[in-house]
Parts: sequence; structure tokens; C-alpha cells
Amino acid sequence: MAVAAAHADVKARRPGINQLGLWLFFASESFLFSALATARFVIAGTDRPDELNQALGLAITSVLLLSSLTAYLAECAIARDDRPAFLRNLLATIMLGLLFVAGVVVEWSTAEFHLSEPYGSAFFSMTGVHASHVVSGMAMLALVYWLGLRGHFSAKGYWGVEATIKYWHFVDVVWVFFYPALYLVSW
Amino acid sequence: MKRDLVAAGALWLILTAIGELLAVFVDFYPLAKADKGEDIEHAFRVLVYFAVPVFTMVVAVLVYSFLRQHTTEFPTDDGPPLQGRGSIPLAWFVITSALTLAIAIYPGLVSIPNIFGDEPNPDLVVEVEGMQWTWFVSYPQHDVARVSELVLPVDRTVRFNITSRDVLHSFWIPGFLMKIDAVPGRTTTISLKPTKTGSYQTDPNLRVQCAELCGLFHSKMRIPVSVVSDEEFAAWLEEQAGAADAAPLSEETEAADALSGGIER
Amino acid sequence: MTHTAEREAPASAWSALVPLARGVLWGLAGFGLGVALIAVLRAGAGRSAWSLELSITFGYALGIVGWLFGVGVWERWGREWFGLSTKEGPTGWQRYFAFTLDHKVIGIQYLATFLLLFLLAGLFAVLIRAQLLSPEGAVMGEGTYNQVMSLHGIIMVAVAVASIIGGFGNYFVPILIGAEDVAFPRVNALSFWLVPPVAVLLLTAQAVGGWDSGWTAYPPLSLQNASGQLFFSLAIITFGLSSILGGLNFLTTIIYMRAPGMTWGRLPIFVWSMFSAAILALLFTQFFAAAMLMLILDRIADTSFFKAAEGGEPILYQHIFWFYSHPAVYIFVLPGLGLTLEILAHFSRKPLFAYRWAVGGFLGIVGLSAIVWAHHMFVSGMDKRLIAPFLVTTEIISVPTGLIFLSALGTLWMGRLWIRTPMLFAMGVVFNFLIGGVTGIFLADAPTDVNLSDTYFVVAHFHYTIIGAEIFALMGGIYYWFPKMTGRMYDERLGQLHFWLMFLGFNLTFLPMFWLGLHGMNRRIATYTPDLQGVNIFVSVMGFILAASFLIFVFNLLRSLVWGAQAGADPWRARTLEWQVSSPPPVENFPAPPVVSGHPYDYGVPGAPAHGVVGMAGGSDEVSR
Ligand code: HEA
Ligand code: HEA
Ligand code: CUA
Ligand SMILES: [Cu+2]
Repeated sequence: MAVAAAHADVKARRPGINQLGLWLFFASESFLFSALATARFVIAGTDRPDELNQALGLAITSVLLLSSLTAYLAECAIARDDRPAFLRNLLATIMLGLLFVAGVVVEWSTAEFHLSEPYGSAFFSMTGVHASHVVSGMAMLALVYWLGLRGHFSAKGYWGVEATIKYWHFVDVVWVFFYPALYLVSW
Repeated sequence: MKRDLVAAGALWLILTAIGELLAVFVDFYPLAKADKGEDIEHAFRVLVYFAVPVFTMVVAVLVYSFLRQHTTEFPTDDGPPLQGRGSIPLAWFVITSALTLAIAIYPGLVSIPNIFGDEPNPDLVVEVEGMQWTWFVSYPQHDVARVSELVLPVDRTVRFNITSRDVLHSFWIPGFLMKIDAVPGRTTTISLKPTKTGSYQTDPNLRVQCAELCGLFHSKMRIPVSVVSDEEFAAWLEEQAGAADAAPLSEETEAADALSGGIER
Repeated sequence: MTHTAEREAPASAWSALVPLARGVLWGLAGFGLGVALIAVLRAGAGRSAWSLELSITFGYALGIVGWLFGVGVWERWGREWFGLSTKEGPTGWQRYFAFTLDHKVIGIQYLATFLLLFLLAGLFAVLIRAQLLSPEGAVMGEGTYNQVMSLHGIIMVAVAVASIIGGFGNYFVPILIGAEDVAFPRVNALSFWLVPPVAVLLLTAQAVGGWDSGWTAYPPLSLQNASGQLFFSLAIITFGLSSILGGLNFLTTIIYMRAPGMTWGRLPIFVWSMFSAAILALLFTQFFAAAMLMLILDRIADTSFFKAAEGGEPILYQHIFWFYSHPAVYIFVLPGLGLTLEILAHFSRKPLFAYRWAVGGFLGIVGLSAIVWAHHMFVSGMDKRLIAPFLVTTEIISVPTGLIFLSALGTLWMGRLWIRTPMLFAMGVVFNFLIGGVTGIFLADAPTDVNLSDTYFVVAHFHYTIIGAEIFALMGGIYYWFPKMTGRMYDERLGQLHFWLMFLGFNLTFLPMFWLGLHGMNRRIATYTPDLQGVNIFVSVMGFILAASFLIFVFNLLRSLVWGAQAGADPWRARTLEWQVSSPPPVENFPAPPVVSGHPYDYGVPGAPAHGVVGMAGGSDEVSR
């Protein structure tokens, strides 16, 4: 009996526990990203090559920002049990993510600077590490989508959705720092 | 309780007195043979003067508490419930902070410009290049290049410009108590003035010792140092200038080259 | 361990190996997949299919996923992601070899693994000391020596990071705060099962040439040497992930899982020290991983982070490395100090002196540890303007550390010192760490560090801090909690013999190293100048005695495990929660939810309520948190 009461107590705290765990994970990850950003400024100063494809950079940034919006809409939809809207927005998010990754691939294959230059080292590793996070986020979104199709999640319980989408926002925020660090700064 | 404080305090004072006496008379280092080496030795000694009372205070409390009351059976009663909420922690905090700031300022901050500063107009400039696993020493003012031996005139200021050809090394002369890393792509510097003559043959601390792990023969990456009079130095330079054209590489260098050539990656 | 489980065991002894075997198989499959992937990609680009380091890196990345899924992540966790039901793990002794969610089992898994690694790395230390018996090197060549020394260093660092945190942290933090388990049991198991690949990588690196760049792996050397370096980097990233997940779990557990009444002001001090160490592990470990990632990229992908010739910056590595590795030394030591204070209070029969200041000390160290890293780089050739600020911040760290000493000394003062093995070790920590800490000040003082850096003075300093505090505390903790974990008592006389032999052996080994450093012996050398031989021989012999003391320890441990007297629930008559339940504790830790209403160390305080009551009538809702 008493043990059961304690169980209930932990159950009640579970949402808070999950939230905290997720945020601590983000805190930790942000240290990884800041290490990379620091390295970029140390080895390449505030220089950036003129050959950067600014239009493409701006385009993929907008795509990623837009995907955060659709992700947000998806979360709102499941919160009011609107499954079709949920799935639609989720799919849109995944597609936008794919578009972003495609943009990075184009950027990589057309870049006119090389991996072995200081700026190139920073550029390829920062975008690479970031893109790997985007890809893992897409994998998680795809799983959520598939589960959503099969009727999982509802307004009463959608932690899996929430966590995945928070992660997606986080990866997006990282890009909000990386984009200016790679494409904009110079003085 | 008061008597305990007095007794522990007395223990502390006695230990401190002994410790400080030792600190005054013990030679921590072998004889330093450069001006900055002497300064460093002095800084070390000052730190010991500060460290002794800190050390003895902790030891005094530890030992006194043990002597005062210990048992191998479960104690029959509990100790006095001192919570440590009053002014004692505050006092401790203030005193340790003051002590820390004191040593940070002297011998810390105060000595930095001296020890790390560069001599703008040295009597002698020496260029040093580290490579796996030896040192090359050049005297640009005297057209002596790439010898694997360091000879310095006594009582003259010297600036070393140090770099590395491959990996990190560290240029350390134990007898001078000075070191700095040799970094590929950079020049690092130290300046000092040898104050006593001597050579590796009589004092093993007169050597350039690599002090940064640099691979296979790191421990053997050392060349002899001699500190000599002006006349001897001039004579040595002469000798080198003659020898340099004939044999650009000294014996040790060839050995090192042979070794590095034979090592598989 | 139930009776039936024990009876079943012989029949299914092999089945204990099933998860491990499956882990290995899936791991190999993952490795093959990764290698094949690279082969296809490279062949597509018209290059040779196999590129040693690139293929291994990708193979390993997928291999580790395979290993984890095979060993139990899939059955006990992954299935759930796909809406399937998870399977139960084994019971009985076999759960020690499986992906198990019980934090106590995981604690034992950590403890056993890292004790083994400790003994192994200790054997490497014995080799080091044997070599240094003679100035020309007594037993091996330079190349072998450098590798043995590097292996000793990195394995010991792993031991120092994870033995107390992983072992005692997992076993006792939940019990000490009155929780049934950690916040994320599956993440917890995951962080343990990331460890075996680390050990395997480090120990098999010899197969691809080993690495000889010390535990610090400074480039360019670490870019130049054999592929063992790659194994090192992969191992560190894996281990880093494990510590990060551990830190995350402990923080969440301590914040959310405290029993009713377990306010922040009533947390046992060991929990506070774990909390502090967990913050450091969670955040800073990423920098070590980042440094290793850049090393790997420089090796396999032609980037030039640290290649001076191509515009990279070797010193950048040191900044990133020490930005983690300085906080890491506090990851080693804080749980050890917390454990020491814990033991001192219980065995002095007094309240923990200046509890709040000690907590402040722990948190102060956490705050300061982020801004002192460059004291490892005073002579690295970095910008000289950085020297002064880092000198000051580093020395200021002795103030919060001093608060921990204040707490220890105030607790001992006038205490009724009950001299048992754990108490001896705790008092040993106070003495040893004093020497280690004070000599740290000599290093922090840049002018004296110019000479001391990279000498045996540094070696002596860090063995005094790591062994003197972390390992002594670990040993103290093992004796202290042995009865709780096993239900049996260790042999007191052997325990005290171990302490004295270890204490004397330790001090006599490492005290003369300060002298060696001052007299011109630098670190990481396989040979040295002959004038230093006498002291080196003394050091080595004392080191062998130190090593021998661990034979007593191992003997005592194994013997008491089988033949030790029954310990009972509370052999030390201590107030904290773990002693209020049976030894070993039941699976769910508490037969009924505990309620906390007093401070854990109120020995001799008139009218103080008990710290905690297990299963108080009336339920848990009335006591506010
Ligand atoms: C558990 C591990 C641990 C701990 C706790 C410490 C603690 C400290 N360390 Fe140490 N250190 C290492 C492990 C550790 N260190 C390792 C592994 C290395 C070598 C790495 C490598 O290169 O391989 C190293 C190297 C190292 C260096 C670099 C040396 C060099 O390579 O040139 C320096 C320099 O500043 C330093 C300083 C300090 C200081 C100031 C403390 C302080 O935290 C100590 C504070 C404690 C006290 C001061 C004592 C108690 C305080 C009082 C009683 C109060 C009153 C005191 C005063 C007012 C002084 N350490
Ligand atoms: C937890 C940390 C830790 C611990 C416990 C130790 C323990 C010891 N260490 Fe080490 N050491 C390091 C961390 C540690 N070390 C690090 C980080 C380095 C730096 C590496 C680098 O520069 O990169 C280093 C470097 C180092 C050096 C310098 C090498 C060099 O610079 O060239 C030396 C030299 O004497 C040394 C000696 C010792 C000794 C004698 C012990 C003794 O305490 C060992 C005691 C012996 C045992 C623990 C073995 C007992 C086991 C048995 C007797 C067998 C029983 C077995 C079974 C029953 C299965 N260590
Ligand atoms: Cu050059 Cu070590
Ligand atoms: Cu440090």
C-alpha cells in the first residue's frame, strides 16, 4: 500500500523529471556547440571567405526557421487532439528538414574553400555536427510520425512528441548562433 | 574546551616554529645558476613560509583531536554538538581569503613581469629550434648556426627565441629553473642572465632538457649547457665558426636523424 | 538474492552470457555495416574502399549502437519506442551481467568494473616504477614505456572519474535521499554499458600501434603517432557520453526524487558533493569530446584545427582540453571529499561542522572551476597576458576548498573519534589532500610553476590529490558501505593493516617525488640523469609496498564477501537513511516510503528528531517538501 503511494508520487513528478532531463541535455549539448564555435574564432579569427554562397545560407536558414514553426503547429495540434493537422505539420517539418539537409549537401559540394584551410575546418565541422543533429532529429520525427499514424499520442499524453519537437527547436536555435558565426561576422 | 584550545594552539605554534626553521635553512633547490632562477627559488621559499602555518594548523587539529579522544569501541556518548553556525566559519573565510590574496599578489603577481618579461636589449640572442629528438642552437649575432650544445657567457643577459619544427617540445634548463614550450609555428621567448659558471659534466642540471612529451626519445632529448667566461665564450664562437662550414651537423644531430629515420610511424 | 534464484543459477550459468554475446554480435554487425558504408561511399568517389582510420571510426560509431542494442537497450527500452512491450531482464546473480535497471546493481557493476581497472592500471604503475629503478631504464624501451605510462594515466583518470560517482553515487544517492530509484533508470544502465567498449578500446589500442602521448594527447604529437591514438579518442568520446548521461541523471534525481521532508538543507553532504560533481560532468565533458572530435577530424578528414603548418593552432587544443580537464579534477575529488565529510561526522559522533559553509564550498568550487584552466598552460607559450588572471582565479579556489577543510576539522574537533577503518581512511584524506592542495598553490603561482611545470613535482601533486583524496575516500567508502552492500562485515584487523600499509606506502612513494621534481627530474621520461637514481630506487620500493597493500585489500574483500560475519542493518549506528533499512537493502530500497524530519548529522543535539523514519504511519502527504 505505502509503496504504491510512493509510486504514485513519482508518477506525479514524472513530467517535471522528463522536462528537466531534456533541458539538462540541451545545456550539455550547448557546451559542445560552443566549443566548436570557439575553435572557429580561434583558428580563423573573424574572417570569412568571399566565396561563401550567401543566398544559399540565407535560404537554408529560413527553411529551418520555418520548420520550427510547423513543428510548433504540430505540437499544438496534438494538444487539441487534432490528429490530421498533427500529422500534416509533422510531415511538413520533416520535409523542411530534408530541404535543409539538401541545402547543406549542395553547400558542401560546391564550396570553393577547402577542408584543410582554417575556415574550412571550422565551416565543415560546424555544419557537419549541426547537420548530424538535424538528421537525428528527423529520424525521431519520422518515428513520431509513424507512431502517430498508428494512433499513438493524444492530448492526454504526448511527451514523445513534445520532447522530439523541443529537440528540434533546440537544434534550430543552435543554427541561429552558427549562421551568423559562419556567414555573417567579419570585421 | 578552553584548555583544549590552548593546548592545540600550543601544538600548532610548536609545529609552526619547527616548520619555519626548516623552511629557512633547507635548500629546496640545487644551486640556481641564473638570476631568474634565484628569483624563482626565492618565490618558492616565500610560499613555503606561508604554507607552513596552514599545514601545521590542519595537522595540529587532526592530531590533537585524535590524541584527545579516540576509541576502538563504539563511543559511549556523542561529542559536543558544535554546529559551526557562528562567527568561526566567517573568520576562517576571511582569513583564508586574505591569505590567498596575499600570496596571489606576492610572490605571484609581483614577480610575473620579472620572470616572464623579455629583455628588450639582450647582450646575446640565441635561437633555439626543437625537433624530434634534439635541439639546434644558433647564435645569429655571431654567425654560428645549428649546434647541439648551448654555451653562454656568464653575467650577460640572454634572450632565447624558441620554436619547433614538428611537435611540441619544452625548452627547460633545470639549473636555471626556467622553461617555455617550443611550439611549431610560433616563437616563444625567455630571457635570463646566467650568474655562475659551470657545465653539464660537473652539474647535470646544466642541460637543455625537453620537458614536453614529444614521442619516442623524449627522455633523451637533452643537450649540454656550459656557462663560461667572456673569453672562453669568444674562443668557443671562433671554433664553431670554423667548424660550421666543415660539418654542419654535430654528432648528436646525426644520431637523432638516424634514429628518426629508422622509426616506423 | 532469493533462494530460488541461487538454485537456478548453475543450470543457466551460460544464459548469463547471452546478453553479452548478443551485444558483441550486434556490435560486430554494426561495425561491419559502418565499414561497408564507408567502402561504398569511397568506392563511389573512386577511392580505395578501405581507409584504416576512417573505416574504423565509422565502424565503431555503428558498432557501439549495435552493442548497446544487443546488450539490452532494444529489449528493455527500444521496443517501447515502437509501441511494443519491453521484456524483463534476468534476476539473481545474472543481473550483474545484464542491462539492469536497479540502481544498486548498476552501482555494483560500476564498482567492480572500476576496481578491476584500478588494479590493472596499478600494475602498469608498478611497471613504471620498475623501469625507473635504473637511469637507463630497467625493464623496457622508451616506446613501450611511453605507452605504458599513457595507459596508466588514462585508465586511472577514468577510474577517478567514475569509481565513486558510478559506484557509490548510483548505489547510495537514491537511498540517501529516500528515493526508490534514480530518475532515469534506463539512461543509468545505458551509461554503464557504454563503459566496457571504452576499456576494450584502450586495451586493444596496442594492436594498432598504441599511443604514446600521455593522457593529455597534445597535438601535433597526437596527430603524428600510430592509430592507437584514434582508439584513445573514440574511447574518450564514449566515456564522455557515459559521464554526461550520468551527470544528467544524478542532477534530475537529486532535484526531483527526494523523499518528503528531505529539504536541501537536510541533504547528506555526500549527496551535495555528487550534485556538484554532476554539474561539472554534465557540462564540461562536452569540451573533452569536442577536443577529441577535432583530433579525429584532423586525423581522418584532413581538417587543420591543430596543424600549425596549415594555419591551425596547437595551443587551441590545450585550451579546450583543460577547459574540461581542470573541472575534471574536481569531478574526481568532490565526491571523495563529500564521502570523507560524511564518514567524519558519523565516526566523530558530532554534527557536521559548518554544514552550510561546506555546501557553499562545493558550489563555490563548481563556479570557480570554469575559470582557472589555463594554469596548466603557464609555460605553454600562450599569450602572456593570460598568466596573471589565471594565477589569481586559481589561487582563489583554495578559499572554497578551505571551507571543506573547515568543516572536516570542526567536525573532528573534540569528537568521540571511533577508530574504524573507514574513519582512518577519512582522516588520511584530510592529511593527504592538505599536502596535495597546498602544493597546488606552488604550481598555481606562475613564477614558481615556470620551473615546476612538467616535473615530478606535478606528478607528486596530482597523486596526492587524486590518490590521497579520491582513492583514499574510495577505499574508506568501500569499508564504510561494505556491510550495507553485502550484508557482511569486513575483517577489521586486515582493514586497518591495509590502511597503515597504504598510508605509509603512499606517503613514502610520493613525498620524495617533490624532491625529484625540484632536482631536475621531468615527467614522462623512460630514462633520467644518473644523479637521481638513489631517490628513484627508494620511491620504487615504496611504490611496491603501496601496491602490496592492495593485495590485503583484495583478500579482505573476497574473504569477507563469503565468510564475513553478518553485519545487521546498522553496524555504525549512523543516522542517515541507508542504515534504516536492511543490509543489503530491498529491491525497492524502502519497505515503506521514508519521511525525513531532521538533519542527518545531529549527533548529541538535545531533542533533535531522527533524520528519517521509514514507513511512518499516516503516509507521506502531510510533510511538505
Ligand atoms: C583530484 C585532483 C586534483 C585537485 C583537487 C587539484 C587541486 C589543485 N591543483 Fe592540481 N592537478 C591535478 C589534479 C588535481 N589538482 C592533475 C591531475 C594535474 C596534472 C595534469 C597533467 O598535466 O597531467 C594537476 C596540475 C596542476 C597544475 C599545473 C601544473 C603544471 O603542469 O604546470 C596546477 C597549477 O596551477 C595545479 C593547481 C592546483 C590547485 C591550486 C588546486 C587547488 O584546488 C587546491 C586547493 C586546496 C588547498 C589550497 C588546501 C586546503 C586549503 C586550506 C587549508 C585553506 C587555506 C589555504 C590557503 C590560504 C593556501 N594543479
Ligand atoms: C587515479 C589516479 C592514479 C592512481 C591511483 C595512480 C597510482 C600510481 N601511480 Fe600514477 N599517474 C596518474 C594517475 C594515477 N596514478 C596519471 C593521470 C598520470 C599521468 C600520466 C601522464 O603523464 O599522461 C600518472 C603518472 C604516474 C607516474 C609518472 C610517469 C611519468 O611521468 O613518466 C608515476 C611514476 O612513478 C606514477 C606512479 C604511480 C604509482 C606508483 C601508483 C600506485 O598508487 C599504484 C598502486 C598499485 C596498485 C593499485 C596495483 C595493485 C595491484 C596488485 C598488486 C595486483 C593485484 C591484482 C589482482 C588481485 C587482480 N604515476
Ligand atoms: Cu622534445 Cu620532449
Ligand atoms: Cu587544474
